[in-house]
Amino acid sequence: MRRRPTAVQGGCAVFLMLALSCQTAFAHAAERGFVLLLPTAHYRVAGALAVLASFILLAFVPPRVLRAHARRATVLARVRINGQSAVSLLAFLWLVFLLLAGLFGSPDPLSNPLPLFFWSVFWIGLTIVQGAFGNLWAWLNPWVGPYRLFVRATGWRQEDKGALGKLGYWPALAGFFAFAWFELVDPAPDDPRRLAFVVGVYWLLTFAAMLAFGPKWLMRGECVSVFFSMISRMAPLSCENGRRIGTTLSLRWPGAGLIVAKGLPISGILFVLLSLSAVSFDGLMHTFAWFALNDLNPLEFPGRSAVMGINSIGLAAFFVLLASAFFLAISLGVRLAGDAASTVETAGRLVLSLVPIALGYHFAHYLGALLVSGQYAFAALSDPFGTGLDLFGTADMPIVAAITAGADGAWMMWNLQAAAIVAGHVLAVAVAHAAVCEGEHDGWRAVFGQLPLALLMVAYTVFGLWLLSAPSVA
Amino acid sequence: MTDASSNNRSNGEGMSRRTALKGIGAAAGLVTAPGFVRYAQAQSASPIRIGFQAHRTGIGAAYGRWYERTTNAAVAAINAAGGINGRPLEIIVEDDGTDPKRGAEVVEKFARQHKVDMVFGTLFSHVVVGSAPTAGELKMPYYVVSEGYHVASGKLNRYVVQPGITDVRAQVTSMAPWVSSNLGKKATMIFPDYAFGHDHRDFFTAAMKAQGAEVIAQVPIPPTESSFTRYFPQIPRETEVLYHVMVGPAVLTFVKELGEFYGSNRPEIFGFIDSLEAVDLASPGLEFLEGTYFWEGMPRYLQPDASDAERAYRNAVGIDENGASKDDPRDISTAAHMFGCWETLYIIKAAMEAADYKGPEDRAKVIEATEAMTEFAEGPEHPQGRKIFNGKIHQCFGHQNISRVEGGRLDVIHRTSIEDGMYEPEADYTTMSF
Repeated sequence: MRRRPTAVQGGCAVFLMLALSCQTAFAHAAERGFVLLLPTAHYRVAGALAVLASFILLAFVPPRVLRAHARRATVLARVRINGQSAVSLLAFLWLVFLLLAGLFGSPDPLSNPLPLFFWSVFWIGLTIVQGAFGNLWAWLNPWVGPYRLFVRATGWRQEDKGALGKLGYWPALAGFFAFAWFELVDPAPDDPRRLAFVVGVYWLLTFAAMLAFGPKWLMRGECVSVFFSMISRMAPLSCENGRRIGTTLSLRWPGAGLIVAKGLPISGILFVLLSLSAVSFDGLMHTFAWFALNDLNPLEFPGRSAVMGINSIGLAAFFVLLASAFFLAISLGVRLAGDAASTVETAGRLVLSLVPIALGYHFAHYLGALLVSGQYAFAALSDPFGTGLDLFGTADMPIVAAITAGADGAWMMWNLQAAAIVAGHVLAVAVAHAAVCEGEHDGWRAVFGQLPLALLMVAYTVFGLWLLSAPSVA
Repeated sequence: MTDASSNNRSNGEGMSRRTALKGIGAAAGLVTAPGFVRYAQAQSASPIRIGFQAHRTGIGAAYGRWYERTTNAAVAAINAAGGINGRPLEIIVEDDGTDPKRGAEVVEKFARQHKVDMVFGTLFSHVVVGSAPTAGELKMPYYVVSEGYHVASGKLNRYVVQPGITDVRAQVTSMAPWVSSNLGKKATMIFPDYAFGHDHRDFFTAAMKAQGAEVIAQVPIPPTESSFTRYFPQIPRETEVLYHVMVGPAVLTFVKELGEFYGSNRPEIFGFIDSLEAVDLASPGLEFLEGTYFWEGMPRYLQPDASDAERAYRNAVGIDENGASKDDPRDISTAAHMFGCWETLYIIKAAMEAADYKGPEDRAKVIEATEAMTEFAEGPEHPQGRKIFNGKIHQCFGHQNISRVEGGRLDVIHRTSIEDGMYEPEADYTTMSF
């Protein structure tokens, strides 16, 4: 896709030749610099103790009590109308509009609405919204509406209905790895043309897969839908869809939807682990520690294109490392509890307890970007094609880019981040506690069996807080 | 004149159309329809298109933002005054991700896809060095604002010019006379142990020697270091002035630990504002810097004796008396460097007018016209001050400021002569063929 002309090659050669002299240095001191002055080590200790204490306290609460609470839901509303297709069609039109803006609008990633909406509003913002308000993506996805329309118009019939079941979550796993790679490793994921191309092709591939495997592809094979659906399980708001009862909106305990009777298959387990490792690696790959490990100077960061190799390996290696640690903890736990269930079976039931950790870290890690890029997105919306329009009067709005700057901003941000990380882990411990003992007789032994996973979560709390407070490049 | 804090979005071609057209509309009385404007004099006033190689993402993003605001303010001012040779100026923004490889790709995109007249605005040295060969091969004038010595060193090519900001060698060299006669003759340098720090080490050590003073110790700090106390015992007791150029997120920790190490009994301290560019000096943790000195390319804080040109420039860019955005006092500008964008655009304008620029076939003529320049007078086009330009090494020389931290702000206490920073040229680009 990207040409590498001789001029560029020559440029690289000369760059290497001159890289050792005549540098300007402007590595930014601002936000993270102020965080470095805060007593973050105390937070790490306190966070670890909070998670450990939650585990110990919960040990005295019988899991069935937690499960009983988790099953409780207050129905807020029942709506007969199911507007899924209509909303999805509108979302599809919105996507087409954004893709056109990406292709024909400004090449500047902070002026073009496509990268701003895709990365800030959709990827950062909607993930958080899913975790709070449930699976809105079931409505907002740009495939269901067009698919139903297509089926109605053409009478399309999907042949092999059993094929999807055999695939498990493997296609979603592969898709999510590709997505994470594009976000974290590709040199220019913000480039509007490039992003429009990638998103457009992905939409087409998914649509084709839906025609081949049926609409359930979204639940199994499409990585964004699978991710959003998993995240939405922890939301205190639940939105159930049924042909007969219509749409039911109910209120429940946060994380209640993560306590499942039937565990995920191995591909689903790996999917959850990948989603957590991807967001964690995004933090890790910006730390000075990662640069030092790879013998790179963070103060003259050579740019993303120079670290594609090491970050590709890093992304995969971190996933393998986290998955190994998780399976090791589960396997130890199964032995300690004397459980009859296999490691994979237990892992399948417990892996969803990692979802609050992933969301907590997602919130903490991307909060700053959301606050600034969200403003740019709002502004870009008024002039989507850079023609001078001002549709909503926001085209020239001042962007408060320093919203998180300075000592006060850093203190506020750090506390929000630390709270999100610790809360995510505490919820994870609770979910794991409620989910582990299904069908167990010896309660205390089962609690003992949770210890390895709980300790892993304590360690991950410390790691998450360290990622957000370590010296790093912007 | 545009509001500097506006988001300065770009159009389909990347140009900040709203910004540019506001100016042109005022100057040429163009017909405007609500919400949409267009050129009415297209036949005679097709725009001059300048590709702005911007650090919109990557480690340079925070600095790139202020470079862009300054650029847009200059474009608006130039267009309000009739543009270049009566043609409006368009800025086409492309993000280089602060990545040298992408930088080269962006230059190529500017040439082949956007068909700009020239490229301008790069800040980070490694992006300049990575992009310059492409600019040379595509015969694309490349006006950089990076303060690196790479242009003057003669290692780049004839199409690369740095006329709007002085280079690190001149800046560092020009500090030695004042530092040695006012702060002390025995200096110790603390610097990050890589090219940027080495430039300071080498140029300052030589410049002090030329003044009959001495750098008695050099303390290199590994770039990934985040705690510094264990390095401080390497500073000799007889040190009269401590010269520091630490950069990166750990700078605040460096200052704090230095304060803890010395308490109230410290040597004189001199640094480069690069360390704390865009950081509020009144921040907690920086109290130790009170009474210490900094180099500033252009004063961040409005000085009582600021010229009308400087005040007009600050107004146009949209910074308040503290050098912060008028819309957000927390948003501290990169005042010491960003003026270079403003001044460079005016030099491009002057060079294009001198060369009677008609189109891309005249690009070499613009370079020649720039090389023929010798001096830029202080005024609205050069609010930082008068400059001398050496066409052989494509580099300007100017006054530098030495400021003292007083009450959490910087007050200029000395302004160097242009000659203080001049050095023997080591190259001659004018002998290279186009």
